[in-house]
Amino acid sequence: MARSPMKDQIAIVGVGSTGFSRGDRSPLSLALEASTAAIRDAGLTAADIDGVVATAEAGAASAPLVVSSLGLTEVSHHSRPAPLIMFSLLDAAQAVFAGTADHVLIVTPVMMSSWNSRRATQDPWRRGARSSILPVPEDSANANAYATWAGRYMHEFGASKDPFARIAVNSRSNAAANELAAMRKPLSFDEYHAGRMIRTPLNMFDMDYPADGADAFVVTTAQRAAQLPQPPVLIHAATTGVYGKNTEDQLPSLKRHGQHVVVDHLKARSDLWIDDVDLFYPYEGFTIIALSWLENCGFCEMGGAERYLAEHWNDERQRIEIDGRIPLNTHGGSLSEGATRGTGHLREAVIQLRGQAGARQVEGAKVALVTPGGFFFNSQGAILRSA
Amino acid sequence: MADPNQSEQKPADGDLSDAELLELFAGHGVYRDNAAQYRGRLDGQLLINRCADCARYHQPPRPMCPNCWSFDVVPTPVSGRGTIHLLMYLHAGPPADGVDYHNGGHPVVVVELEEQEHLRVTGTVHEFGPNEPSIGDAVELDFLDRGGAPIVAFRPSHPTELNHPTKPDQPSLQEHRSQD
Ligand SMILES: [Zn+2]
Repeated sequence: MARSPMKDQIAIVGVGSTGFSRGDRSPLSLALEASTAAIRDAGLTAADIDGVVATAEAGAASAPLVVSSLGLTEVSHHSRPAPLIMFSLLDAAQAVFAGTADHVLIVTPVMMSSWNSRRATQDPWRRGARSSILPVPEDSANANAYATWAGRYMHEFGASKDPFARIAVNSRSNAAANELAAMRKPLSFDEYHAGRMIRTPLNMFDMDYPADGADAFVVTTAQRAAQLPQPPVLIHAATTGVYGKNTEDQLPSLKRHGQHVVVDHLKARSDLWIDDVDLFYPYEGFTIIALSWLENCGFCEMGGAERYLAEHWNDERQRIEIDGRIPLNTHGGSLSEGATRGTGHLREAVIQLRGQAGARQVEGAKVALVTPGGFFFNSQGAILRSA
Repeated sequence: MADPNQSEQKPADGDLSDAELLELFAGHGVYRDNAAQYRGRLDGQLLINRCADCARYHQPPRPMCPNCWSFDVVPTPVSGRGTIHLLMYLHAGPPADGVDYHNGGHPVVVVELEEQEHLRVTGTVHEFGPNEPSIGDAVELDFLDRGGAPIVAFRPSHPTELNHPTKPDQPSLQEHRSQD
């Protein structure tokens, strides 16, 4: 067993969300709404917050700007971690664990931008972020990387688009019950397969839905959490991981990348694993990422997602239920709630573990596996549990 | 420490200044550590960084060999022969001369070079005629011109052997392509 001194010592005690839509507000406005909601949810006030972690999303406010905009007196920890939520959650948790701060706010605003939304290019408030120099089409990084490796996955394992469709349909079915979600209209398999191709083999339904919104969280010690109003959610294990040969087109194979590193490190630090979890939040900025998390976490063998998802499909509810018990992305994920970059997955896990998910509630849920990130530079994961 | 990229590598084209090189390849992400590779393209060469100490190639170009930490890395011409490892089609993207995102899309390939396992280069493909490029196809280098900037492209290395329909026992990306 690996060293894991922080196990169950840090709790998420507050969450706040603006919900996600195609709106007309600034990232700062969204960040402040989510932040104040999270601090109030935690039963705290501005005077209690002594740390601010402001995720470095494009256009997002810096931590000092969040501090001044919230009218905080002063903070002893502030940082600006790379996007995808686990970098921010780990930074905040480690600050509390180290004693650098006692109540740390994490805030992540996301905006649909001119690089991921055609509509955004027509909005003068967003156009500024766009460079006048056009990139070359023959790029193997970013979105293209997931299209190329999705094609390789299909080639190596003889997979069809069916498992990809199940991830997309599942997300939409779950988003219907989530009032924060941007896309709540059900998606049929026919609609999925007729979706406009963007990067063959991936179509528009294989990619997260660009939207505006913000999520915020408050973390503190487990001891302090016991005195606060919300049922505490403990960080049992959390890690990020990157594989050495991580350049997108140089990845030796699908057998080893960031997800495998994350899974190995989580398993080595956690008393709980997939037989113990009630909730699973595999990130799906692209559908292939969620299929890979499913396989790499060990729910099924590599290349087995097509068979596995067909076997664990609830036809009546048009969604995935592993062993009839573990639903995937109960909030609708990035494909349907909106491109939250993993904040939605984390927030929904917290709400479910508190037993506050209303119509979406998984009865008796005690343990969640949350795995944001793709293959190359932002793979990450956490096991959360109710106290 | 002497940097072999700077001291040994004579610009292949002779007269392009660094500023002109950056302007010609605007959008390609040219910087100090890969400039030699772009100069090589102007001379019709695909240059891959190779370590003078341990003989390993690496990609993309770095100032130091990740295998043995030697800074003696030399941009070295390679054959340009390899096999298609990754393949996708773009149906939207930045406007570029000669790039058609419709009619089946613009192919982007990652080719594994014959010089070393897992050593790969990204580009496009052409001259496949009525045949569909497939993962595993043997290809060879053939630069395309885009406004004076050579673009890495590949063509089938044995055109006569490619007169087959897409391999029936393998899933074809073609089935999934839109006709827009
Ligand atoms: Zn070396």
